[in-house]
Amino acid sequence: MPLDQNDITLRLENVSKSFGGIKAVNGVSLTVRRGSITGLIGPNGSGKSTLFNIISGVERKFSGNVVFDGKRLNGLAPHKIFDLGLGRTFQTPRLFTGMTVLENAMVGAKNQRGESPLRAPFPKDWEPQEMEVAKKTQDQLKVLEIAQLYDKPPSEISGGQMKLLQLANVLAGDPKMLLLDEPTAGVAPRLAQDIFLSIEKQCKEKGTTFFIIEHRLQVLFKHVQKVYVMHEGRIISEGAPSEIVKHREVIDAYLGA
Amino acid sequence: MVDAISFIVAFASFYGIFVILAVSLNLEYGYAGQPNFGQVLFYGLGAFVGAIVAANLLPYFDHLPIGNICNAGAYTVRTSIGSSDAGISLGVWAIALIFAMIAGGIIGLVVSYPAIRVKEEWYLSMILLVAGEAFVIVVENTPQIGCGFEGVDGILNPFYWVSNLYASSPFAGTNLGIDLPGAIYAVVIMACAGICYFVAQKLANSPYGRLLKSIRDDKVAAESLGKDVAAVRRRIMVIGSIMAGLAGGLYVYYLGTATTDDFVPAVTFTIWVMMILGGYANNKGILAGAFVLTLLERGSVLLSVIIQPYFPTFNAAVIIYLEYSVEAVILLLLLLFRPKGLIPERRIQTKAYELFDFSKAAGQKADASNATIPDTTVAKEQGSAS
Ligand SMILES: Nc1ncnc2c1ncn2[C@@H]1O[C@H](COP(=O)(O)OP(=O)(O)OP(=O)(O)O)[C@@H](O)[C@H]1O
Ligand SMILES: [Mg+2]
Repeated sequence: MPLDQNDITLRLENVSKSFGGIKAVNGVSLTVRRGSITGLIGPNGSGKSTLFNIISGVERKFSGNVVFDGKRLNGLAPHKIFDLGLGRTFQTPRLFTGMTVLENAMVGAKNQRGESPLRAPFPKDWEPQEMEVAKKTQDQLKVLEIAQLYDKPPSEISGGQMKLLQLANVLAGDPKMLLLDEPTAGVAPRLAQDIFLSIEKQCKEKGTTFFIIEHRLQVLFKHVQKVYVMHEGRIISEGAPSEIVKHREVIDAYLGA
Repeated sequence: MVDAISFIVAFASFYGIFVILAVSLNLEYGYAGQPNFGQVLFYGLGAFVGAIVAANLLPYFDHLPIGNICNAGAYTVRTSIGSSDAGISLGVWAIALIFAMIAGGIIGLVVSYPAIRVKEEWYLSMILLVAGEAFVIVVENTPQIGCGFEGVDGILNPFYWVSNLYASSPFAGTNLGIDLPGAIYAVVIMACAGICYFVAQKLANSPYGRLLKSIRDDKVAAESLGKDVAAVRRRIMVIGSIMAGLAGGLYVYYLGTATTDDFVPAVTFTIWVMMILGGYANNKGILAGAFVLTLLERGSVLLSVIIQPYFPTFNAAVIIYLEYSVEAVILLLLLLFRPKGLIPERRIQTKAYELFDFSKAAGQKADASNATIPDTTVAKEQGSAS
């Protein structure tokens, strides 16, 4: 098979990763279609987050291949992978605790002139771009309904808002594809629904591809075209939500039969 | 006796140098989260490089043989040039400072290079701590570098010639009651400190400031947002080390001698207390912290001189060492009552806030006539959701 089949944006080939004796990820192969919303589910400890760490370069020691838009990502540092247009969020939000919501959400913007220490002392050089980034950030924060918190440190916002802020942080870099690790965990049900609606909107309007780990299957299944099911490091099932729910193995894995 | 003017001149000189060192450490640690326990290395390096460059260039520009800079003869040559030739004195001083900064920057890069790829910043801290001590040992035991234990002597204040100029002027009869070169140099040191402070403020209140704070707060998150964390850490070490090198170069010209005694780890500790006292990631706080500690250090010296005549059998100089005990007490009190320092960290002031502050102000006006119910659903339900 050729590396970049046009409609496949992410391809994993036989990816494995062990921690000591534990095979956290065991021979995973999968594909994610461009512009789709794809789910990744599985019981606790099945290796989902580890898989995201591998794809995003946070975990660089593994076997197998990760191919994004026809480019092999193996061994690339996370910042290089982000530059290629592949962003991610973390299961436990990783925010910049000493910075305000606005500052957090502006960090991820790409190619900021003022990030160079040689240019930073000359605001005239970067202020026009700064204002563009600020405007874009403001719009994004408004969509996520956290714009009014712009001046607050992350310690003063709710857990759900932290999840939203993390999303804003990564969206600032205009990623082509996003890996979201449990975007609605710890979030109020109404808000969980809203988060998925804005994901869907982002997907439709900007063509962003989403690959989402989620434990709230009811919400997830309403918004995804395809789901992969992991269990003990392996993909045990894949398909449309309607097919997945009928799957014997999936029910077993979840209910621990 | 100690008079007020010479106290102020000494205070200003030390304050300026401490401000530069503390601003530098604050960029590295306060903003970028890189704990530098070897600040004294770059400070000492700047001093020795400055002294060695000066000792070689002074005779060179005066077309005299350079010879061994540690000889008494060489000492006489440089002091005589320094007290008479304004052009050579100032020119060599400027070059010495530039070399001190370059040396700081290069060594900052070289020392931090191997450890900076390691995620944990403490590896680099330990390397820097050790490198600071190693520097002193190497210089002391390698007389070829900086004249060993003696140090490089006779580096006159770059404005020393002013006093000779004055002595041969028509006003020579009036006793100014002030060390003119010292006073001028104190102003110059303060100006350099002002420039460093200004640069640090500019760096901090920009997208670069955001970048530094992001790698400080969470390296993995910053990397995952496209930041080349290793490169950022390397560059801030270079910037900080250039400033510390400058402080060293300024200091050696203030004191007249570069000796290893002045570059013990306790200096690094004092700079840390300045930063912790003033406030991490706040340059204004640094000015405050450096002020208090300079007062403490100069004050204890002054006190020892003042009380000595009253206690002839007691060596009052030991009072100077009380400084460290007081520093420890300051640290304890801070941790208890003001863990964020005198002036806590503030938001990064760029124009971006104008957009939001403006909307907020407009929103508040609207709210006044049409009270809104705050959205508390999120916060409330947060606790129950799993
Ligand atoms: N850094 C690590 N060191 C050692 N073991 C690890 C590490 N990270 C993950 N593991 C182990 O790998 C396995 C898979 O963990 P992972 O976090 O990927 O699961 P998960 O599917 O994301 O679970 P959850 O739904 O609870 O988030 C677990 O057994 C976990 O204990
Ligand atoms: Mg997980």
